[in-house]
Amino acid sequence: MKQTPVLEGAFVSDPEPALVGSRCRTCETVAFPASFTCPNPRCAQKDVVATPISRTGRLASWTTVHFPPPPPFVAPDPFEPITVVEVEFASEGIQVVGPLAGASAEGLRMGMAMETVVEPYYSDDSGEVIGWKFRPAEGDADG
Amino acid sequence: MGDVIVAGVGLHPWGKFPEKSWVEMGAEVALGAVDDAGMEWTDVEAMVSGAMQWGGSTGMRSGNTIAAALGETGVPIANINNACASGGSLMRAAYAMITSGMHDSVLVIGTDKSPKGYFPSVPVLADEPRPPVDMVRWQVGVPNPAYWALEMRKRMEAYGSTEEHLAQVKVKNSRHGSLNPYARYRKAFTMEQVLASPMVCDPLRLLEICATSDGAAAVVLVSDKKARRLGVSPLVKVAACSLASGEFGDPTIRIPLLAAASDGAATAPLLSESRLAAQMAYEQAGLGPEDMDFVELPDNSSWHELQYLETMGFCGEGEAEKLLDAGETALGGRLPVCPSGGFSSFGEATMAQGILQIVEVTWQLRGTAGARQVEGARKAITEVYGAQANNSACILTT
Ligand SMILES: [Zn+2]
Repeated sequence: MKQTPVLEGAFVSDPEPALVGSRCRTCETVAFPASFTCPNPRCAQKDVVATPISRTGRLASWTTVHFPPPPPFVAPDPFEPITVVEVEFASEGIQVVGPLAGASAEGLRMGMAMETVVEPYYSDDSGEVIGWKFRPAEGDADG
Repeated sequence: MGDVIVAGVGLHPWGKFPEKSWVEMGAEVALGAVDDAGMEWTDVEAMVSGAMQWGGSTGMRSGNTIAAALGETGVPIANINNACASGGSLMRAAYAMITSGMHDSVLVIGTDKSPKGYFPSVPVLADEPRPPVDMVRWQVGVPNPAYWALEMRKRMEAYGSTEEHLAQVKVKNSRHGSLNPYARYRKAFTMEQVLASPMVCDPLRLLEICATSDGAAAVVLVSDKKARRLGVSPLVKVAACSLASGEFGDPTIRIPLLAAASDGAATAPLLSESRLAAQMAYEQAGLGPEDMDFVELPDNSSWHELQYLETMGFCGEGEAEKLLDAGETALGGRLPVCPSGGFSSFGEATMAQGILQIVEVTWQLRGTAGARQVEGARKAITEVYGAQANNSACILTT
């Protein structure tokens, strides 16, 4: 089946699944999704390069969404609640939201190690749309 | 720089009005505010209006649409969209037109009909090289209340806030709203009823998140010279009107974005734009939070009410729940919060809700707020919460 990324260049699957952002060559500011420029207003150079983001981070917050979001979200029928998690990547100094891989928020706790995976979001006539998700990781997070 | 005076206000009841167009609602409040100011439609020197995205291209030029309905007079009309901060942005634009001496009277108007449920995405160009983040966040599945729920869970973890605190905010505001004939929801809820409402984005329940409404509000601002000529009394003065945007390093994940500085790496406060807008307003008015007799803040959700008490400087971090528990934020308390009933009783109509707050404060300062009157109210601050880090605050005094 044809696979289309939900956002071109925002993640990789090989060699390991990871988010990809941009990093400023001058001030080291990391942005996700990648920007064409540096968002630091006090940085004069604005020269950025694509950078992989640590594969693991820490759970900063989460919420379970009990009513289906509107399109372009593609909701299965019947709708099953989805959990949105916020993961902190300390080395990059950013926090990112994404869906929890797997249905249940049971067992989530603040600060636990989370890892990035790449999974299907939904499929339609043109194939499968894939994107980043997060799931509890074995072992310790980076940073 | 001369004073800017609220000469007239107009408010439409809020709710769902499928039989009435937003243009009719806008025309009604426009004429209501002009009449309240003791003026004629043809006396209005300029007009600023909320550019209403749900109304399509005529909605985006709502001011011109309403003026065409009421009779075009050739005055300057500016249409502004700053999401929920539109009302304050319009106030600030009108304020600047008057203090600069350009005009002696400006009509500020917001009229809006909102889609039901979660606010949907707005159509975008299909052939952009990359999809806008607002498309991606919907595919990921992050409706607006999810952003608020993520912050609320952090708050519970940090300060021990409970689901009962969230419900209590609604109990209080619904009691205020039950006293307001213009509110959409006039039922005073009990704690049990709020806690029995369905979970939307946990820990936020249906009754703890404001609905989307149809609504309209208008204000006529005038110079002090014009106010004297009109015989406006009492003089409700616009002491401050600020507008701020987000700061780099703010840890708030802003609607509709997908990332932010991490809490550990943050170099700016949560809701930096809102903190800045409040600070700028206090500075402009030469007043502080301790001088305010009441506040109309953006209770888009129960989280907002707790957070904005801190963001606007009324208490330290993690202390808003104590004010709530002590009854200080209820009518009759030391600092009534949202005596109008707030957005939880009115629902969101993004172009109009900032102006709704100005109308309520004007009535309160005139002493004509009826059963929900804050005794002896002389000074109050309003603040909204706008998507993508836009915010404005206004201070009115008498
Ligand atoms: Zn830089």
